[in-house]
Amino acid sequence: MNCERIQDRFADYLTGDLDEEARGEVQDHISSCGPCRAEIENLTAVWAKLGVLPEEQPSGDLRHRFYAMLETCKNEQDAAVKTPARARILAGWWEWFTFRRPAFAASFSIFLLLLGLGTGWVMSGSGGKSARLTTLQREVQDMRQTIAISLLSQPSASERLQGVSYSAAVRNPSAKTLTALVNILNTDPNPNVRLAAVEALYLFRNQPGVKDSLVNALAVQDSALVQVSLIDLLVEIREQRASEALKALIKNEKLNPDVKKLAEQGIKQLI
Amino acid sequence: MNGENSSGDKTGRMAPTDNELMEQVRDGKVEKLAILFERHQIMLYNFFLRLTGNRAASEDLVQEVFIRILKYRAGYQGESRFVVWMFQIARNAHIDFLRKRKEELPLDDQFAEAPSLERRPEDRFEADQEARLVRQALDKLPPKKRELLVLFRFQDLKLREIAELLDVQVGTVKVQVHRALKDLSRIYLELQGGKAS
Repeated sequence: MNCERIQDRFADYLTGDLDEEARGEVQDHISSCGPCRAEIENLTAVWAKLGVLPEEQPSGDLRHRFYAMLETCKNEQDAAVKTPARARILAGWWEWFTFRRPAFAASFSIFLLLLGLGTGWVMSGSGGKSARLTTLQREVQDMRQTIAISLLSQPSASERLQGVSYSAAVRNPSAKTLTALVNILNTDPNPNVRLAAVEALYLFRNQPGVKDSLVNALAVQDSALVQVSLIDLLVEIREQRASEALKALIKNEKLNPDVKKLAEQGIKQLI
Repeated sequence: MNGENSSGDKTGRMAPTDNELMEQVRDGKVEKLAILFERHQIMLYNFFLRLTGNRAASEDLVQEVFIRILKYRAGYQGESRFVVWMFQIARNAHIDFLRKRKEELPLDDQFAEAPSLERRPEDRFEADQEARLVRQALDKLPPKKRELLVLFRFQDLKLREIAELLDVQVGTVKVQVHRALKDLSRIYLELQGGKAS
């Protein structure tokens, strides 16, 4: 086989995408052709050198901006689904107001100004937030939870970890989000994800059932890191019901001695 | 076609493929884009970083790619792997970025040297001289060759996928990759010679 045809295969040769036969042909050729051998050695060296370039991590700001953008999109989508007819009517009115009617536009601006002042006056009188704003905030929260639950069910640990930190940003988690977090705490194969779940649940300790879940989790954890984190947390929030769980824990013969010591101290602190 | 990202884990859950997720995004479940973002943001960020040498611009570009994915989601066909479609968008975003920068910069600056990464403090202590040399060599390649090598070496794309992305024949890509690697090797050796002397 000639040099030109062999060189066509160099790119595949580097990525290991040649089948055995084609690879054999390349190797046969370069064993007898000096220039091609030098060439492939040269390319392999530079290929390997490119591999030393480290991968960099973007700043947290990128993630923050992405989720803000996604929330906006989801909210717009939900709004469009809920009020398609109203939106169309509004759009029609808007067109009617804005095209070729400068005099009307001016008077309409004054009308809007007065309307704004009036609304402000009414709202300050009632002292409450507008219902629309509350609805919007609730929608943002719902959106966050949908994303969080979606991420929590992923097979990749890094995605679940992101799901945990995302659900921790929710103000009033739904029962579904809490259940998903407790589930992660008790069943996730990765201790780092479980650890993050402990921290997220700590934030939600005053939600119904969360303290019980944290107490119950003590019995099922096998990672010393997660056990230590749970004991610290239960002692810190002075959860009396944890005493029994801690007593049961120290009876476990396989328990890490440091964890055992901490649990014993915890029992004393909770009395 | 969609099975390439499928994988199970200890929990027995199957990961949805990128294509399946993007189809869900297209069909209204836009929140699924979060999973695609988590999977690809670092790869995309490094793609742009290697092309522009600018961290802030690279983050802006990653954000821009996901904005465009949402904007054009209705047109997603799922014929190729999702990443091929994503890189088509990424390349367009990069072209627009270069065009915009050209408009903003005075003429002299447009012909300034290829971008090189701003140094972070820890880079001063970077033991790996080799990585720095490789980066410099890559920066000195003409933009098209640099892009081709970055796509080929770091983005886990097959030659036929790169051909699809660049809208050329696979044979052409092979020849171009070969030439770009030869050029890179030559520049690297020149730089190395300069350092050694």
